[in-house]
Amino acid sequence: MDRRFSCTACGKCCYGLVPLTIDDALAHADKYPLVVIWTPVRQGGRSFRITADLGITIEIKKHKRAAVQIAPTAYIPPTLPCPELSEDGLCRIHDAKPQRCRTMPFSAYRDENDQEDLTLPRPGWECDTSDAAPVVYGDKSILDRNDFEIERKQLVRDAAILKPYAEWLLDSVPSLRPELQKIAMKPSGGRVVVGFSTLIPRLPKVDIYAFARKQLPVMKTFAERTVGDPGLVDFHQRYVDGRTEWEKVARPNSGTRAGSV
Amino acid sequence: MAQCPCGSGLDFDGCCGPILGGAPAPSPEALMRSRFTAFVRGDLDHIESTHAAEVRDTFNRSAAESTASSVEWVDLEICETSDGGEGDDIGTVEFRARFKKDGELMVHHEKSNFRREEGLWAYVDGKMNPKGKPRRVEKVGRNAPCPCGSGKKYKKCCGA
Repeated sequence: MDRRFSCTACGKCCYGLVPLTIDDALAHADKYPLVVIWTPVRQGGRSFRITADLGITIEIKKHKRAAVQIAPTAYIPPTLPCPELSEDGLCRIHDAKPQRCRTMPFSAYRDENDQEDLTLPRPGWECDTSDAAPVVYGDKSILDRNDFEIERKQLVRDAAILKPYAEWLLDSVPSLRPELQKIAMKPSGGRVVVGFSTLIPRLPKVDIYAFARKQLPVMKTFAERTVGDPGLVDFHQRYVDGRTEWEKVARPNSGTRAGSV
Repeated sequence: MAQCPCGSGLDFDGCCGPILGGAPAPSPEALMRSRFTAFVRGDLDHIESTHAAEVRDTFNRSAAESTASSVEWVDLEICETSDGGEGDDIGTVEFRARFKKDGELMVHHEKSNFRREEGLWAYVDGKMNPKGKPRRVEKVGRNAPCPCGSGKKYKKCCGA
């Protein structure tokens, strides 16, 4: 079935979590509170194969595996807008916005033949899907594949970094694997949120001090914005933790310096 | 004379000192010890210069420096080594480096791989929290001699 779609710039999809390519995460480190989100996808799920290709798989019980998506993410609560969404509902960084936003309504995290539901507006969204809108998806293919291709290429390139990172962190933090296994067994699913600092040692070109100076004010701002909101306790705690963590890196002298012998 | 931070009990100048100064490490264990000492002293040059070729492209020096300076190194224990002799071109060292972070005592337990590159030992990669050899569970046959050494059949002795 042909699907029609046209963006009306309603700004409704500019809320909540945004999975980012590594380059986009680094480019916007002064704007978004960054984390790495690990999401198990069970064997048999539609996205199992592509998630396993772009991420890793873990054993959840004998002969049963789960794929795990490893996504650098702008950790914005679903009730809060992107900090770059202006009052008039437009994007302040349109020319430099993340690839995830450009590929909308499609997603390179899923197979091309599994995009049909994405062309349907979520409740409250004002996307134009009337006969006036152009056909964007038909015969399980995206008509203008440009942005989808760019995003997919970046995700494949990121996978070369994220796969060894994930295996290394699973070895380093013994509690992580059982946590993912538990979530993978739950019908309701879930995700594990990990600090972005775990990924920095795997990104040779990133100066951790400069990065900390970008993330620190962002974590502070989001911690202030979410304080006292009972629905955002988990988000708030993550921002507080992030603030503490980046403070230590940004001001190394406040901690114990390596002693000389 | 100061004791070497690597815990060998030797003087720094007779242990890791010369290796940090550029002398070739005679074995993977010696290199491992010198790299621990380098972390203690914040000598990231030594860490970087003892990496195998492929690690140099993926090593984030600023992150390593930030980690090294944010912790208080306690001690190093070499658990096990393999190969790494004079005729070998590879070797492994399993170690536990203890450190304090935010007052909490923690352990970095790693089995590292080393390789000889142009005659010099270099760090390749490591497996964090390596698992020990799996314990083999063997069944004792009912008619086999009892493992307790009584000389009786197992089924007539402890297995009864």
